[in-house]
Amino acid sequence: MDERPVSLALKLMALTMFVFLLAPLIVVVPISFSGDSYMMFPPSSWSLKWYPAIFTDGKMTSAFWTSLLLAFVVTVLSLLIGLPAAYALVRLKPRGAEAMSALFTAPLLLPTIVLGLAILIVFSRYGLLATFQGLVAAHLVVTLPYAIRVLATALATLPIPIEEAAATLGASPFTVFRRITLPMMKSGLIGTTALCFLVSFDEVVLSLFMTGPRISTLPVAMYHHVEQQADPLVASLSVLLVILTLLVVLVVDRTSGLAKTFVK
Amino acid sequence: MTDRITAAAAGQAGEGFLSLKGLTKRYGGFAAVDNLDLEVPKGELVAFLGPSGCGKTTSLRMIAGLVPATSGRIVVGGQDLTEVPTHRRDMGLVFQSYALFPHMSVARNVAFGLEMRKVGKDEIARRVKEAIALVHLSGKEEHRPGQLSGGQQQRVALARALVVRPSILLLDEPLSNLDAKLRDEMRNEIRDIQKRLGITAIFVTHDQVEALTMCDKVVVMNQGRLEQVGTPVDLYETPRTAFVAGFVGRSNRLKATARDGVAEFAGESFAAQAGLSGPVEIMVRPHRVALSAAGADVTAGDHRVSGIVARTIFAGDILQYDVDVAGQIVSVELATRGGETVLQPGAAVSLSWRRQDVFVYGAAA
Amino acid sequence: MSAAAAIAAPAPVSDTRRSGLALVVLLIAPIALVNALGFLVPVLNLARMSFYEVEPTGAMREVYTLATWLTVFQDTFYAELILNSITVSLGITLLTLVCSYPIALYLHRSSGTWRTILLVLVISPLLTSAVVRTYGWIAILSDSGLVNNALSAIGIAPLRLMFNKTGVVIGLTEILMPYMILALLAGFGRLDPRIEEAASTLGAPPFTIFRRIILPLTLPGIALGCLLCFVLAVSSFITPKLLGGGRVFLLATEIYDQAIVTLNWPLAATLSILVLVIFGGALVLYTRALRAIM
Repeated sequence: MDERPVSLALKLMALTMFVFLLAPLIVVVPISFSGDSYMMFPPSSWSLKWYPAIFTDGKMTSAFWTSLLLAFVVTVLSLLIGLPAAYALVRLKPRGAEAMSALFTAPLLLPTIVLGLAILIVFSRYGLLATFQGLVAAHLVVTLPYAIRVLATALATLPIPIEEAAATLGASPFTVFRRITLPMMKSGLIGTTALCFLVSFDEVVLSLFMTGPRISTLPVAMYHHVEQQADPLVASLSVLLVILTLLVVLVVDRTSGLAKTFVK
Repeated sequence: MTDRITAAAAGQAGEGFLSLKGLTKRYGGFAAVDNLDLEVPKGELVAFLGPSGCGKTTSLRMIAGLVPATSGRIVVGGQDLTEVPTHRRDMGLVFQSYALFPHMSVARNVAFGLEMRKVGKDEIARRVKEAIALVHLSGKEEHRPGQLSGGQQQRVALARALVVRPSILLLDEPLSNLDAKLRDEMRNEIRDIQKRLGITAIFVTHDQVEALTMCDKVVVMNQGRLEQVGTPVDLYETPRTAFVAGFVGRSNRLKATARDGVAEFAGESFAAQAGLSGPVEIMVRPHRVALSAAGADVTAGDHRVSGIVARTIFAGDILQYDVDVAGQIVSVELATRGGETVLQPGAAVSLSWRRQDVFVYGAAA
Repeated sequence: MSAAAAIAAPAPVSDTRRSGLALVVLLIAPIALVNALGFLVPVLNLARMSFYEVEPTGAMREVYTLATWLTVFQDTFYAELILNSITVSLGITLLTLVCSYPIALYLHRSSGTWRTILLVLVISPLLTSAVVRTYGWIAILSDSGLVNNALSAIGIAPLRLMFNKTGVVIGLTEILMPYMILALLAGFGRLDPRIEEAASTLGAPPFTIFRRIILPLTLPGIALGCLLCFVLAVSSFITPKLLGGGRVFLLATEIYDQAIVTLNWPLAATLSILVLVIFGGALVLYTRALRAIM
């Protein structure tokens, strides 16, 4: 390896900052095993009671299932809507393709607090507030830009001669897409799926505007819970969520390369 | 479909199996291919030869339907295919980059075209096996393209294109990504297979050796235009334009001036096109020039000039002299036999060559 | 697959182009619909909303007025709110830069599996809900949290680290660090170790190399990271809300309160547009800075 030695000073600084960066995620682990009934660090006693507590808390479990279903529906729709659009923009290159992709990714540039308010005002008029459909629509506004960005990159890097070869062998454009293009952009599809799922599952700000007493997502339920009482319940829930996230990240890294998917 | 085209072709003897009529591709104001007319008889291997950007690949892609023609017609076996989409043209194309399907095994790659044609399962298995055997890859059926060497990938590409028995086999610089030794091997192999199957094939290349050694006919293209069509011997012995003379084989290009169809160089007169006046280029191939020490008795040759050796290059099989003749360099190549004296720079020599080895072209303005 | 059938009706070029256009429209229609209904219309509507009239009862009327805008510009509360938001966000941005730079530089110089592990450690927080991470900070900063329990163990009086600006700044700094690290990394592409080696052979001591070579070369990445973090800090809301405990007033928290609690939508809309104006200002500064650096 022709790597230069990293100076000790830099190593120490980086280590310190890593500790700072990961501190809030690490600290929830011991708290989740707390025996106290309110949050305290270090806990005065230890127990496992906060893990089963998640599943007996009706609000949390129903919010969890809502979030899971929501993330699933949003991810599927993001792929179904994003893939044709990315294909049209990258491969059919209509006039104004660049302007269109700028427009379609623009929602990412808008702060979610502003976007949330804007959507709240319009959706309230159509009775979409505190409905599952409303949540799906609002989440799609932020997942689609990610989907189209990752999918367009994946499509743009595919070697075109391979598709041309399929065409010369008698495959119609649709067959080429189904048998050649789609399998070859597998890693892009996995990346998109993971990203859309996590973005939807973790989304708080938009959901805060869109939820109500009738329907809530897990991050929103957790937010309200912490707002009122920061007990170890959220810690045990957080540990489960961090594990879920790590799993998704590992799957993405194994199948398509982490850096390729998340670092532009 | 192949049968139908064959039948149609039989009824049209005399004309080519593949004919291009005024084929043109324009990008804005730029003509990548300009009014290309060509007849390719059935069963011939024809090379499209030219420097990069000459339009040879664009022509091939138009024949395959991957690039729409701006104007002109593409007719195969009497059927106009100009507006037919690629996947219904029934042609086999071997790509420079091989373009194998990376997510499929060798056998699946080869089977793809047959599946598209809804061939029965058993027949697919049989024909895939045959095709893979034809390119000497038996035993590699279940490998992925990524596990094969460049030469093996090229063979898979060839088998994949051939297995569907295409009406025309198109090869786009198929050897340019291979190393020199493999290239020689594949050259012979492609030629053998093409002859054995009697398939009409177009071979795009920028390498004149490939074109001359493999193909029945060579189409030389330059800047989107057809320069000359002919057998390798035609092109080498009677190049019709200065470009062909320069591109096919090596040539000395001597600048001279012509008056009324006669060019003057170093005191010698050369017959040019009748009535031609103005600047011309006189071309003669280095190994068709005879060299003798000045004053020696020269027997052969219609033209005779004298000069001074400027540089001597000994390359083993060939001894090359660059001779300064009237201020221009004439290269002379002599096959070595051993024992000859090697002249040193500064030696006075006289050069001679036969009339039929000289071509005079009006120089481009 | 009959070529003859296709020839029977040769498609003129213009027709193929028209069918191509129809296909494009078909493929793009769904995303265009989502974009229009979930982005374009709401945002344009937001701008209009800021001019609606609010009656003293709190009810909103579709009558255009400048009243809300005038209130925002005249009431010193809002001027302070804006100033507060900008200064706090600037402070957070600076702190984030200082904390992220060593990590980014270290990541840039590492390679192989180790680099992948570190990258996962940087990206994982990014993919973890802000609620979870803020909760972690509550565990560290609250009165019965890690820091204060540690302090009391060695006999030091507890510090007030939460429900004030300190908590918000600490929490947001950590939350924004992954963005800064990734932006810096992207900008470090220009950092060629051979340049540093060249400087070293010319006699520059390590800190001089950092100051004269590394820092100038990484300025574009720094500028990008700062823009990103400032913009995110101004609009962040979960962390200020939970760590500020309603005692830290920022633009984003005020927008939420006006929208959800007070239900004064024209005011919330007006403040939202101010956030976008601040964004625009940051973007202008960024392009200026970039031009000065390059």
